[in-house]
Amino acid sequence: MLVVENTKCECGHQNSVGTVLCESCGKPLENNELSDLPLEMRYDGVARRSQKSNPNLIDKIWNFFSSVKIAIYLIVFTFLTAMLGTIYPQENTFVNNFDPSVYYEETYGLPGKLYYLFGLSHTYETWWFIGLLVMIGTSLVICSLDRVLPLYRALSKQQIRKHLQFIHRQKTVYKHTIDGDAEQWTEKFGAQLKRKGYRIHREGSALLAEKNRFSRWGPYINHIGLILFLLAILARSIPDWQMDSYITIPDGDTVQIADTNYFVKNEKFTVEYYKDEELPAKLKGTARAKLFETKAVLYECVSSCNDQTQKPVLKEVKRHNIIVNEPLKYKGLKLYQFDFDTTPRLNAVHPILVNKETGEKYGPFDLPMKDSALHHKLGPYTLDLYANYMEFAIGDNGEPTTLSRDPVAPAFIFTVKGPGLDPKGEPYMYFPMQKDKVKFSQDAINHGIADKIEIRVDGMENVDFSEASTYLNVRMDKALPYVWIGAVFSMIGLLMGSYWQHRRIWLRIDDGQLSLGAHTNKNWYGMRSEVAGALQKIGITVDPKLLDNGGNNA
Amino acid sequence: MGKSRKTVQIVILIAVLIIGGYAIGSTLFAADDKGPLKEGSKPPEFELVDIEGNTQQLSDYEGKAVVVNFWGTFCPPCVKEMPEFERQYAKWKDQGLVILAINLSEDTLTVNNFVRRFDLNYPILRDVNRQTERNYGLKSYPTTFFIKPDGSIMEIKVGGMTEVEIDERIERLLQL
Repeated sequence: MLVVENTKCECGHQNSVGTVLCESCGKPLENNELSDLPLEMRYDGVARRSQKSNPNLIDKIWNFFSSVKIAIYLIVFTFLTAMLGTIYPQENTFVNNFDPSVYYEETYGLPGKLYYLFGLSHTYETWWFIGLLVMIGTSLVICSLDRVLPLYRALSKQQIRKHLQFIHRQKTVYKHTIDGDAEQWTEKFGAQLKRKGYRIHREGSALLAEKNRFSRWGPYINHIGLILFLLAILARSIPDWQMDSYITIPDGDTVQIADTNYFVKNEKFTVEYYKDEELPAKLKGTARAKLFETKAVLYECVSSCNDQTQKPVLKEVKRHNIIVNEPLKYKGLKLYQFDFDTTPRLNAVHPILVNKETGEKYGPFDLPMKDSALHHKLGPYTLDLYANYMEFAIGDNGEPTTLSRDPVAPAFIFTVKGPGLDPKGEPYMYFPMQKDKVKFSQDAINHGIADKIEIRVDGMENVDFSEASTYLNVRMDKALPYVWIGAVFSMIGLLMGSYWQHRRIWLRIDDGQLSLGAHTNKNWYGMRSEVAGALQKIGITVDPKLLDNGGNNA
Repeated sequence: MGKSRKTVQIVILIAVLIIGGYAIGSTLFAADDKGPLKEGSKPPEFELVDIEGNTQQLSDYEGKAVVVNFWGTFCPPCVKEMPEFERQYAKWKDQGLVILAINLSEDTLTVNNFVRRFDLNYPILRDVNRQTERNYGLKSYPTTFFIKPDGSIMEIKVGGMTEVEIDERIERLLQL
């Protein structure tokens, strides 16, 4: 390949395209030799990697992402579009059956409709937003790589004796005439700098002192952290990496967490309110919750998990009392207390059968509201369950029916056989709840048989009901640890780059004439006073301000 | 050095293409899966037990016209529809119509009594703990899904239908 541009320095070093300062002696290569303004010291004047005189397609793509200007545009554009997502609530902030195509228009009118149509109701999951993140990530990798490698190379093989122009065009410069032996003076001055933590490289009467070079790697470590952070966020779209759902569990029930192998049992939900005397005056008489607690047990299914014909075999893996901000945690799965419902639900009763003529009692027997056994044997009596209703009512056609599938007003119809009854069996209607017994006049419905037997519950200990239901928020975020690792890297990088400065001092003595130049990547004030301080120690008093050679941020 | 630089460039760009492609691709596909079901989308798979105790899956009927009806004995329009579906089933089953009636998580005795009363011959499936109805995003009952042989939804009918309405839709479904 032909190198069109002449990039050879007078010291004999062949530099690559785009080099600002000779990689070897530091002489400025641009055609502004007459200028004596401070030099552009960015990346030590080395060329960005991959700068070519005749780029092909891959190089062009590469160079696009290698540009910091493009990176800044990308970041600004991402910020602006991210703002759009904050105008109306995002779709994922809604729980349960929620239809965004209707909601936005109904709530916000035409702007809402457009908001939904443009996909802004899920801004952060749109292909173009993710695309922007991917591009920022690419730009981070390529920009860093193209700069850190040449910088590393330049800093690890620095020449000690720099070109005079290089030294005189630093932002901190000092010139002086030295009497006596030049090498001795250099050594003495070097010793002073060493005490300030500099590493000294001497070559006769030329010297390079350097400290805190590691702070130059801070931005790149920060970038590695950001890349990890971005990758972790993108990884959330991997199936099973993220979950955010809600489950309702009545007391005593065990419910499967959808799309997982886990089951949760709510052993007991408790809500406690503050007593009036515990509340300040203006809140007295209001219900202020003191505690929501779910005694939860987490199970893992070990066999016949997806087989609908069999009961899943569960193994307890964790037990925890969930209160607000103290979720049950197991292998990345978190169950948070979210809400509750204190509507009681009847689960089962344990009634007895009484022979009204003799007063003899049989039972109790187990009668769950749902999926009860169809056949019960009680002493000389047999009960066959003929029909059951969750919320009993008489339909329009005069036939018994149920209004819902929740045990609001349960009713059971048994065919009873036994002493004094028709051998073919007689129907008996049973309402477990006293209010329904009265409302539907159980005895009148049962007429004849009501005088012979009665099915009833003896005492509250024979009633099994759930006092409340707990609502839990199920969360899983496997990407979170990586987000943290990324954040830690990013922070370490920021600290390295912010609290330390990479400082270098070059000097050479030519025929008793001292030329000293110093460079730092920030805090020039400190740089100057450090140079002045070291000079003071060897008997040269100079006002730090006079070392200022001009230039921005100096 | 020029050669290894080229390799690094290509490796990085390929990695960007794969990771970025996956991330962007998954947002495009997620858009189809998410949100409530609508015409043209693919109904969620289910695996449920029928009243005879056999396990049935929606995917068992791939390539056939399927009517999935959610019903409960507590819902009068559902109850009215069930014998109508029975007649429609008798009329169209030879042409390959499949009717799957999913009961809304009621108990065994209730379902059995109901089916015996109306003498229903199409498969009656039993949802458990309202899982399937939740996956289908049901809001009211009855809701009927007409699923084309290619596995996508032709129509979602919320609420009861007259027998003529059912007939007309099934005819359209079978022509697809």
